[in-house]
Amino acid sequence: MERKVGVWLIFLLHPLWLALGNTEGNALHSLRSNLIDPNNVLQSWDPTLVNPCTWFHVTCNNDNSVIRVDLGNAALSGQLVPQLGLLKNLQYLELYSNNISGPIPGDLGNLTSLVSLDLYLNSFTGPIPESLGKLSKLRFLRLNNNSLTGRIPMPLTNISSLQVLDLSNNRLSGVVPDNGSFSMFTPISFANNLDLCGPVTGHPCPGSPPFSPPPPFVPPTPISLPGRTRVQRNL
Amino acid sequence: MAIFVNMVLGRHFPKILISYGLCLLLSCSLSSCTETDVACLKSIKASLEDPFNYLKSSWDFNNSTEGYICRFTGVECWHPDENKVLNLRLSDMGLKGRFPVGIQNCTSITGVDLSSNNLDGPIPDNISAIIPFVTSLDLSSNNFSGGIPKALANCTYLNILKLDHNQLSGQIPPELGLLARIKTFSVANNLLTGPVPTFQNANISREDYANNPGLCGGPLDPCPGSSKSPHT
Repeated sequence: MERKVGVWLIFLLHPLWLALGNTEGNALHSLRSNLIDPNNVLQSWDPTLVNPCTWFHVTCNNDNSVIRVDLGNAALSGQLVPQLGLLKNLQYLELYSNNISGPIPGDLGNLTSLVSLDLYLNSFTGPIPESLGKLSKLRFLRLNNNSLTGRIPMPLTNISSLQVLDLSNNRLSGVVPDNGSFSMFTPISFANNLDLCGPVTGHPCPGSPPFSPPPPFVPPTPISLPGRTRVQRNL
Repeated sequence: MAIFVNMVLGRHFPKILISYGLCLLLSCSLSSCTETDVACLKSIKASLEDPFNYLKSSWDFNNSTEGYICRFTGVECWHPDENKVLNLRLSDMGLKGRFPVGIQNCTSITGVDLSSNNLDGPIPDNISAIIPFVTSLDLSSNNFSGGIPKALANCTYLNILKLDHNQLSGQIPPELGLLARIKTFSVANNLLTGPVPTFQNANISREDYANNPGLCGGPLDPCPGSSKSPHT
């Protein structure tokens, strides 16, 4: 009697395991469908397999859940997909040195196990999602050398584990925070952007007082700073 | 063919040389020129005695694949495949010699840990020109002597400054109190005298000043001649 129950349980659970394995495989396959892959690096990404753990450039943990995606320097183009946010155990997302365009999906903020987010040297556009502030275990955030615009989200300063931040060579604007985890970051992390301002950049934000001895009061005038890219090397 | 080569080289060689040089200079200034970081590490290796061969064994400059210095012992790079040094951690390696000023060529360095070695001589007076973006500087447990350079006050990004367990003398430059990002500051176990700085945003404890012959003020006993301890 017990053996029969056991056998039924196996039949019951088996498709369930298939489905769980497939969520992550499906997510990665969506990514594959949205990328252009001239070198066929994604050739092994077979969605009919029970899980993606045998795919090249994918690493799983002992529970067959994806922990690493390593696609740096793979000549990929196309765009990312929000389904990446379903890889809930993902620790390393390495997509650097490709030609991937489009926005950084806000769903990446759901990757709460993420330790390293490397999207540098691509053609990403749009803003840095505020949701990245939820990545409380993030140590490496390297988004440099893209065409990202907008402001640096304040929630990033709450990521106390952040060790390496590189937002250089983008088209970011607005104030650069220097509180929280950002007290460890220097002009190097923010160099060559469109219109960043604040103490760390060396020029004050519009409407705020300059840094060294306050000048005589001057009635405020509307300021529109022209876009410029400068390497910040002053102290 | 030979005539052609002769013509080209003869007439245009200087121009070719100049434009090649200009190209090299331009590429160095537009992107961060990482030839300098290789020169930085070569200079550090050359200037320090390495009795236990920590550097000799791992710092091999013959292999020239991309980002090869990132695999050196103690070297942490900004990106794994680019020769751009982020942190240098050479703690407890028995290293001897002066402060390696060649580190100036690691133009993007933020973390410097030379603690627990046998380094001696002064901390360079122009330290802020050498490592302007340093956020964490640990020179503790060495044999550094002379004064604490005032220029450290220009290293505005310093969060951690550890100078304890050396033979530093004279006064602590009061300008160090202007370092707004300081979280950790330690000068214990030196030969320092005089009043301690007033830090804007940090609470430095007695232990961080301990074992100096004549430090006063702050968490320590008031300085001679003042009626009460100065408060931050």
